[in-house]
Amino acid sequence: MTRLTCPFCGPRDLQEFEFRKTLPEPDSNAYAQVYERANRLEDSLEHWQHVHGCRAWLLIRRNPSTGQVLKLELMGGGGP
Amino acid sequence: MKGPEPRYSAWALLRARLAGTGYWRPLWSGRRLREAYDVVVVGAGGHGLATAYHLARDHHIRRMAVLEKRLVGYGNVGRNTTIVRSNYLLPENHYFYEDSLRRWERLSHDLNYNVMYSPRGIVDLALSDGEMVGLARRGNAMRLAAIDAQLLDRRGVLKFAPELAASGPRRFDIVGGLLQRRGGTVRHDAVAWAYARAATALGVDIIEDCEVTGVRAEGGIATGVETRRGYVKADRIVFAVAGHTGAIGEMLGVHLPIETHLLQAMVTEPVKPLVSSVFVYVYPHGECYVTQSDRGGVLMGGFMDGFPSYTQEGQWFRLEDVVQSAVALLPQLASLRILRHWAGVQDMTMDGSFIIDRIRYDNVFVNGGWCYGGFKTIPASGAACATLVATGTAPDLIRAHGLARFATGHLLDERGGGPFPVRL
Repeated sequence: MTRLTCPFCGPRDLQEFEFRKTLPEPDSNAYAQVYERANRLEDSLEHWQHVHGCRAWLLIRRNPSTGQVLKLELMGGGGP
Repeated sequence: MKGPEPRYSAWALLRARLAGTGYWRPLWSGRRLREAYDVVVVGAGGHGLATAYHLARDHHIRRMAVLEKRLVGYGNVGRNTTIVRSNYLLPENHYFYEDSLRRWERLSHDLNYNVMYSPRGIVDLALSDGEMVGLARRGNAMRLAAIDAQLLDRRGVLKFAPELAASGPRRFDIVGGLLQRRGGTVRHDAVAWAYARAATALGVDIIEDCEVTGVRAEGGIATGVETRRGYVKADRIVFAVAGHTGAIGEMLGVHLPIETHLLQAMVTEPVKPLVSSVFVYVYPHGECYVTQSDRGGVLMGGFMDGFPSYTQEGQWFRLEDVVQSAVALLPQLASLRILRHWAGVQDMTMDGSFIIDRIRYDNVFVNGGWCYGGFKTIPASGAACATLVATGTAPDLIRAHGLARFATGHLLDERGGGPFPVRL
């Protein structure tokens, strides 16, 4: 995993992006939302931001054991 | 197997020479997995082996197994940068790390195995006045706890480590540093081998190639572990699975306050003695540490890659970043070639401090969340974790390191960074 494909900017170097955190469980309490993380070996649902590009927030599903990106979309849906 | 390895001594060397082949025996292999144990430790790395050793030595638990997915010492105990130190700011941390450093000082004798503790000193460098203030604060906190710390001005740093003066004018000159003379390095593989040998001598079964895939429980109490080699009954279970603690949490149905990140390290071709000490420089968006191994390779490491990964494959940009920082500190390194480069999978907790506590069940324990500091704590973690497992009560040194601290707000956040391991 060395690049991500931003819906606005196309394929860009991974360095342009910043990982924020894994998605909290729906309906979880405040403590869980702030501190707890899902640590799934093969399926991680994450928030990222294209900080050194268009600054779009992204929702990415990845396999952290291989680095493969399974799905990448804009947070909140929609797109260019 | 004929029994434990003989004690190492000059006399043993001589006897081995006279006896010819067959005198030295395997250190830990050859044990069979039994059906039931008093304690099962999962993970034959530094922390798992040290915990098993202390359970056997201090608490006289004999029916004990250490189950390892791959081989002894195959994980982070063989992938770290071998640095030991206790220069932490918070009392809950520096007393614990100091306990560990004191144990390192005598570990070779305690285990009858040369782990090559080398107190070559560790210097945290400051390139600005603001950074000096931070180092002074940390050094004062340490000295209040009777831990050796010495604040050096520019001249003091260059006198202690003349190689830092070898270059011409710098863009950012060294302002000073915080020196801990007893800090240094330890031969990491030897630590795993020494604990494995010592635990085996006390009757612990070390079973390699035996991955744990689940925990069986009945009535709110864990009864044993499922492994690739079948079910093993256990009264108590300890997970010491550096880098996979978060995944163990998921296996037990618990989301832990842990993210799993990669840390990289790299070593150059061997050269004559060049780096006399351990140099650390932490800057706003990363960090860099440099030391020289006993074989002569200059060892470098830095900040994590920045997103969850179990691949053990580091990102190029981080490698570049670490090397650039190291060359900025020691321009002499610029002409050296990188010989090897690797990455380790780390548990990064939400406050940067470790977790030793019960998890999910009353008789299941977790020893993890070591962030950047796993290797240097092995002796103290083994002793403290063993006390918790054997007596059911956490000793004072790790009382603050339970999981509950995240919910109650008693975080141990050295850098004051908030609940994100990535942001500095």
